Amino acid sequence: MTVFLQSLLSGILVGGAYALIGVGLTIIFGVMRIINFAHGDLVMLGMYAAYFLFTLGHVDPFVSVVFVFPLLFLFGALLQKTVINRVLDALPQNQILLTIGIGLIISNTMMLLFTSDYRIISTSYSSGSFRVGEISVSTPLLLSFVITAAVTAVLYWFLMKTDTGQAIRATAQDRDAAQLMGVNVKRMSVLATGIGAGLAAVAGALISPTYYIFPQVGQPFTLKAFVIVVLGGMGSVLGATVGGVLIGATESLAGAYVSSGLKDLVVYVLFLLILLFKPAGLFGKSRA
Amino acid sequence: MSSAPGAILEMRSVSKFFGGLAANSDVSFSMTQGMILGLIGPNGAGKTTLFNCITGYYPPSRGEIRFKGERMNGLTPDQVCKRGMVRTWQKVRPLAKLSVLDNVVVGALVRTGSVPAAREIAREQLEVVKLGHKAAFLAGGLPIGERKKLEVARVLATKPDLLLLDEVMGGLNPAESEDIIQLILDIKKRGLTQMVIEHDMKAIMRISDRIVVLNSGEKLAEGAPQEVVSNPEVVTAYLGEAHV
Amino acid sequence: MARPRRPRGLSVLPVAAGVAAVVLLALLPRLVDSPYALHLMVTFFLAVIMGSAWNLIGGYGGQYSVGHAAYFGIGAYTVLILLNTGGLAPWWGLGPALLLAMVVAAVVGSITFRLRGPYFVLASIAVAEIMRLAALNWKDLTNGAEGILLSSVPPLEIAGRVVTRFDSKVPYYYTGLGLAVLVVLVTVWFQGSKVGYYLQAIREDQDAANSLGIPLTLYKNVALVLSAFFTACAGALYGLYVGFIDPQTAVGLDVSVQIVLTAIIGGIGTILGPVVGAALLVALSEGLRSNVLTDLLVAVGIVNPDSAVGGFLRDNLSHAHMLIYGVLVALTILFMPDGVLGGVKNQLRRRRARASAGGAA
Repeated sequence: MTVFLQSLLSGILVGGAYALIGVGLTIIFGVMRIINFAHGDLVMLGMYAAYFLFTLGHVDPFVSVVFVFPLLFLFGALLQKTVINRVLDALPQNQILLTIGIGLIISNTMMLLFTSDYRIISTSYSSGSFRVGEISVSTPLLLSFVITAAVTAVLYWFLMKTDTGQAIRATAQDRDAAQLMGVNVKRMSVLATGIGAGLAAVAGALISPTYYIFPQVGQPFTLKAFVIVVLGGMGSVLGATVGGVLIGATESLAGAYVSSGLKDLVVYVLFLLILLFKPAGLFGKSRA
Repeated sequence: MSSAPGAILEMRSVSKFFGGLAANSDVSFSMTQGMILGLIGPNGAGKTTLFNCITGYYPPSRGEIRFKGERMNGLTPDQVCKRGMVRTWQKVRPLAKLSVLDNVVVGALVRTGSVPAAREIAREQLEVVKLGHKAAFLAGGLPIGERKKLEVARVLATKPDLLLLDEVMGGLNPAESEDIIQLILDIKKRGLTQMVIEHDMKAIMRISDRIVVLNSGEKLAEGAPQEVVSNPEVVTAYLGEAHV
Repeated sequence: MARPRRPRGLSVLPVAAGVAAVVLLALLPRLVDSPYALHLMVTFFLAVIMGSAWNLIGGYGGQYSVGHAAYFGIGAYTVLILLNTGGLAPWWGLGPALLLAMVVAAVVGSITFRLRGPYFVLASIAVAEIMRLAALNWKDLTNGAEGILLSSVPPLEIAGRVVTRFDSKVPYYYTGLGLAVLVVLVTVWFQGSKVGYYLQAIREDQDAANSLGIPLTLYKNVALVLSAFFTACAGALYGLYVGFIDPQTAVGLDVSVQIVLTAIIGGIGTILGPVVGAALLVALSEGLRSNVLTDLLVAVGIVNPDSAVGGFLRDNLSHAHMLIYGVLVALTILFMPDGVLGGVKNQLRRRRARASAGGAA
């Protein structure tokens, strides 16, 4: 029972970061209907940003979130304006190929610049934990979950209560209608990509104390982000939040009960099952 | 709601629901071989939905569709086509990167496994719709009138018994519409049965043997063209849209 | 703005050119005594096979599988495992490998072909990743991350007489050439066949195709199974030729991406597109690896070899494979979605249209 609760808890805590990654992806999809296959590499960039801020600037990774978000926000916005904007009307398969290409460019440029050497961030609390009864709670994971919750709360406030946030939601719901209502949909696309990238990078920064950092680390995050988003329903922020936590928990339990080598495989099989039986996901609308 | 003996198509209390919305509600009528049935009604009356149910794009929620005596509910579109029923689309759907001839070949291939034989059939059908001279052109580059003709040639190549034409005159100028009307009458002469959705009332009056009027998903009226068109309920339903 | 298309079917000139090319290629090992040249050609043939195989389902069918590494890996692993542990000669081992690839393709197709566009792409990636993880973790069968090192290929004997030994590159060259020619001929047949017509109809408009009597999943599966067959052939040849495979090099996402890239760069949905793409990519790969590109940049004067940039390029460009591939994918999608061959065709068509318009005026 302890094993179950233990892995469930760590899974939920990691799931917080997964949720951020998923929310970022779903916002991008929601507004532009583009499946961003470079998303995991944006997470990786967040991890490297946190790493360099830590080693060169002695900035704690959890604090670095403040710098990482705007940095990657700008990067995402730039990416949208220069490249992604050109394929908004292309075949969906071509859009995916383009983002696959972008992902390859990002990860391989990092490899050229920084080599494939594993980097790690060791803070004083990196391996810290404390006990609640029989269960040990990892300190960095708990901290990251708390910050994730805070970021998610800010995001919800932004989307629900601010004019810009509502404009983004309107664009995601019906691009043409939003345009007719006076929303600058081009600007919304840029914003959405910026926010999506920023959130992915923040997630990367938050989990950087607990992961090896290397250029190819983004790839599994991309696929997992898709599982999360499909599970939650493409375009649904709530769905991605719930989906992230669910996938984190599933992965962790699979690692404990099946094998740590196969936990990714379990997630991908789950992905196929969702695509087959409930492609609209938990909160999504039925559109193919 | 009695079943007409020898009817080629029977619609028995067909209903289609989308969530809470009844797009088609308890629609019944039948068609005999060789007739042209005009299906009319204001926008949103459920005409295209009915076509979609008949051709298997989705199954009806209730009721039964019988074609040549066989129950069609739940068959997939390709199965429906093989049994002899085929449709054109309200928004034309050419196979854009294929040539005009190849578009029709695709239709012909449902009846033969041989590509040369299919080409022969395709050439014939292109002549019927008078597009033979454009056989080598890319379908995607054709103007709208010719795209509509191409679609008719394509479905004719499947050697259907029943042809469902969805606003095949939509967006055409009078000369092009006249071509299509002649085409429909020619097709009738060859013994094919046709159900035609159309907004052009003059055309419908000319070609239809019978007319069924849909409104808000329900069958409002059915009968010979003159009766239907002078039916006060029908006129009311069409208020502002009548071309008569 | 309709433009006339050349009628289908083969005309004399391309066929004659093709035959001449094949004859030349068949004679090459006798004329040229360079193992390096042979190696380049084997790599080229492999790329042609993989790109053309993908083209059947991706180019003609419009179903962009980015998980074809699954079939490549099945081909490579099955043949090598049967050879190493079972002592089964590769020409016999190929049978089970191809059968397995086709069965897996049929199953995967039945499951994933109901998904539209981008969802299908994602599902295909997930399937390949599942295969890779299975290969990584099923250590008893596949040696996991350590990979499989080929022991040796037995000589090919027919009726007790040795036809060829596999101690030089030459037999691999001819096998590669044979398979490449075969897959191109299959593509020619495919394009003019009922299956080919139906696949293209599905690609252009799936619902319209369905309403014209085409059972969608059945025909997509036919194309996928055929595609998997040849992809597995390529995998088997690769495993035997290189002599070593592991989950990353045989089933990794990079393999799938390279396959797709080969087809789209050349021009999808055309017979020669994958051949052009293969030639471009292999030339580029070798240019990178042998520092020819760097030397070229230096020779032209763009880069100073002693500068920081020059030194950097010299040390690193040879490893920049996937980076360049990524750039190529992006550039192709952005500026040349019909590929090199498609772009050339479009240019020719535009020039012909202008000429005829000018002539008519």
